[in-house]
Amino acid sequence: MKTQMAAVRPLVAVERTVRIAVAGNPNSGKSTLINSLAGSRLHVGNWPGVTVEKKEAAFERRGERIALVDLPGTYSLSPYTEEEVIARDYLVQERPDVIIDVVDVTNLERNLYLTVQLLELEIPVVVALNIFDEAEKKGYRIDVPAMEQALGVRIVPTVATKGTGLDALLEAATAAAGDPSRYRPRRLHYGDDIEAAAKSLMAEVLRRSPGLAETYPERWLAFKLLEGDRRVIEEVGLSGIEPLAAKAAEHLLSAHGEDVESLMADARYAQAAGLTREVLAKPDVRKVELTEKIDRIALNRFLGIPIFLAAMWLVFKLTFDVSAPFADGLATVTTGPFTRWTRVLVGLVRGPDWLVSLVTDGVIAGVGSVLVFVPVIFAMMFFITFLEGSGYMARAAFVMDRAMHSMGLHGKSFIPMLLGFGCNVPAIYATRTLENPRDKALTALLIPLMSCGARLPVYVLFVGAFFSSRSGTVLWSLYVMGIVLAVLMGILFKRTLFRGESPMFIMELPPYRMPSGRSLMIHTWEKGKHFLLKAGTYILAVSVLVWFLLNLPWGVEHKKDSYMGTIGQAIAPVFKPLGFGTWEAASSLVAGVIAKEIVVGTMGEIYVPEKKETPAGPPSSLSEDLREIGTSFAEAGKKVFTNVFSTAGIASLSGKGEGRENLRAVMAKTYTPLSAYAFMTFVLLYMPCVVAAAAFKHEFGTWKWFGVAFVYQTVLAWSMAFIIYQGGTILGIGG
Amino acid sequence: MGVVDIALIVLIVGGAIYLLYRSLWKKKGYCHGCDSSGKCR
Repeated sequence: MKTQMAAVRPLVAVERTVRIAVAGNPNSGKSTLINSLAGSRLHVGNWPGVTVEKKEAAFERRGERIALVDLPGTYSLSPYTEEEVIARDYLVQERPDVIIDVVDVTNLERNLYLTVQLLELEIPVVVALNIFDEAEKKGYRIDVPAMEQALGVRIVPTVATKGTGLDALLEAATAAAGDPSRYRPRRLHYGDDIEAAAKSLMAEVLRRSPGLAETYPERWLAFKLLEGDRRVIEEVGLSGIEPLAAKAAEHLLSAHGEDVESLMADARYAQAAGLTREVLAKPDVRKVELTEKIDRIALNRFLGIPIFLAAMWLVFKLTFDVSAPFADGLATVTTGPFTRWTRVLVGLVRGPDWLVSLVTDGVIAGVGSVLVFVPVIFAMMFFITFLEGSGYMARAAFVMDRAMHSMGLHGKSFIPMLLGFGCNVPAIYATRTLENPRDKALTALLIPLMSCGARLPVYVLFVGAFFSSRSGTVLWSLYVMGIVLAVLMGILFKRTLFRGESPMFIMELPPYRMPSGRSLMIHTWEKGKHFLLKAGTYILAVSVLVWFLLNLPWGVEHKKDSYMGTIGQAIAPVFKPLGFGTWEAASSLVAGVIAKEIVVGTMGEIYVPEKKETPAGPPSSLSEDLREIGTSFAEAGKKVFTNVFSTAGIASLSGKGEGRENLRAVMAKTYTPLSAYAFMTFVLLYMPCVVAAAAFKHEFGTWKWFGVAFVYQTVLAWSMAFIIYQGGTILGIGG
Repeated sequence: MGVVDIALIVLIVGGAIYLLYRSLWKKKGYCHGCDSSGKCR
C-alpha cells in the first residue's frame, strides 16, 4: 500500500509504538487534528476529498512512538470508492492498535453511520467529537456520558483547529491501545434475524477454516459475507462458503423483502439515528445560519457562475495588488546590487570571464527572472488557500456541476481541476478520488488547461509590459479561457473518446469557516515552496544548459548563430502566423517544456545585452546598495496599500525595476499587445510540462493519455493563438 | 581555453544534467500536494 510519511522525527529510547488510525467522514477535520497533534503539515482544506490516500505522521510522547495514520475521508466502509477501499483495507489488514474516529458533531447522525461500522471491526475506538465549538454556538447540547455508555467507547470533545481537547484525546487513545480488551467497543444489535444468520454463517466458516478468526473480526466477516462483498469473498478464498452465504441472504430477502445490503444499511442508520435522538438536543427555534444565507446567493441558479467568476477576478486583482510591488523590488535587487556583487565575488576568486558570464548572464538572469515572481506566486497560493479553507471551493464545484454534466462529468471532477490552478501534478494524482476510469482519464486530460502557478511569471511579464492598466482583467480572461476550453474539449471528448452518461453525484457542502491564520500560512507555504525548490533544481539546471547552448559553438559572436539560436530559427516559422515567429520566442517555448516558468528564465538569458556597456561612473558601494535594497522594499510596502485601495488597476506593474524593466522594455519592442496576448494564450494551452507527463504515466501506468494530451493541447494552443492573432489583425485590435 | 576550463565546463554541464535527471525524473518532481519531505509518493 502507498503510505506517505509526513513527519518522522529522530526517536530515542522508544518503549513501544502505538499505531493510531484516524478515520472519519470527509471534511470532519482529520488532517487538521493530526497536524495539531503531530505538528505535521498534511494538506487540509474545507472541502471533501482532500486526503486521497493514507498518510502517516509520527512523533514521540512519554517514551512511546505515536504513529498517526490519516485515512481518506469516507462515509462508510463499503468498497465502492477508492477512498473506502484504502481506509477499509488498512483497518482490516493492518489492524491498528486504536482508531480515532473524528466525528463532525454538527452533522452527528451522518457521521455516526461510519462510527457504527468502525465498531464492527472490534478494534478499540476513541471518538473525537470535533468542531465542538460550532455545535455549542448553534446551541447543540450533547450528552457525552450517555453516548459513551451506548457505544462502549471513550468520547472526547475536540476543536482540532484550536487544539482543544487533543491531550485528552491522545491520552484516551494510548490508554485504549494499552488495554484493548478493556476498551473493546460494544456490539450494536442489528436485529434478531441478521444476528442469527451472521452467527450460524460464522460458525460454519470457522468450522471450515479456524485460522480466519485470527485474520478477520468474526462478526464483521459474517456481515460482509452476508452482504455478498466481492472483495472480502475473494480475499477469504474459502471454497464453498459463497453458496451458504447466498442461501442465508436469500432467506433474509424472503423474510424482509429487502436484500441484505439494504437491510444492513437500514440497521446501521437506525442505530445512528437512534443514538443521535438520545444524546443530541437541538434548540427548538432553528436560526437561519450564515452559511445558508450566503448559499442562497452563492449557489443561486443564475448567480452561481457569475459569482464564481467574480471571486476569481478578485483573487487575481488582490494577488497583483499585494505582490507586484514586491516583485518589482526583487527585480531591482536581483539585477542591480546582487548581480554587481556576484560579479565582484567571482572576480575575487579569479574566475575566467566565461564563468562570470555563466553566473550573471546565465544563472542570475535565468533563475533570477523566475524568482522575482515568487511574491506573486505566494500571494496567489494564499488566496487559493483562503478559498479552500473558507468552504467556497466546494461551492465552486457545485455551481460548475451543470457545465461538467454537459461533458459527461460531474462536479466532483471539478475539484481536481481546481487543484490544477496551484499545480497540475497533484491535480492529476487527485483524479483517483473519481470512481470510474473513464472519469479519471477525461478529468486528467482536461487538467492541463487549468492555468497552474508556473504560467503566472509569463503572464505577469507580458501583462506588465502591455496591459498594466487592466492587469487583473487580462489575467482573469486567461484563466477563464482555460476553463471554457476545458468544458468545450470535454464535450468533444465525450462525443469521441469517452462516450457514456455522467454518474449521479451528491456534493457535500461544508459550512463556511474563517480559516485560521496558522493554517493559512502553513498551506500557503506548502503550496508555494515547490516553486522555490524548482528554482534551486531544474530551473537552475536549465539556466546553465541554456547559457551553454547560447554560447556554443564557443566564442560565437551573436546568440542568433548559437546552437540555441539555430534550433529557435528552425522552429520559428511555425509561430509566424501566431505573431511571435522569432527564434527567441521559439527557443523559450521549447525550454518551457521542462516547466512553464522557464519560458521567462530563458527570455531573461536571451535578452541579456550581447555587448556589455561600461557602466557610467564609479561602481556603487555596499552601503549604497544596501540602502537601495531597503528603499526598494519600503516603496514596495507603500505601493501595496496604494494598489489595494486604488480602483484604477495596478499602478506598480508600470513601476521601475532595472533588469525586469529592461526585459519588459524588450518585450514591448518585440511584441504588440495582440501578439503578446497570443503568446500568453499559447503558453496557457501548449503541452503539459515534463513533471505533469511523469504524473500521467505514474497515475495511469501508460503514456497513452499523456500522448493524447500532448497532441490535442499543442493543436489547440496553435489554433487559439492563430485565431486570436489573425482575428485581431483583421479587426484591427491591438496590432 | 585551457584544460582547467574544459574540466570545469564538463563538471558544470554534467552537474546540471544530473540535477535535471534527479529532480525531473528520479524524484518525479515536486508538487504542492506532496508531503513535507517533498515527495509526491
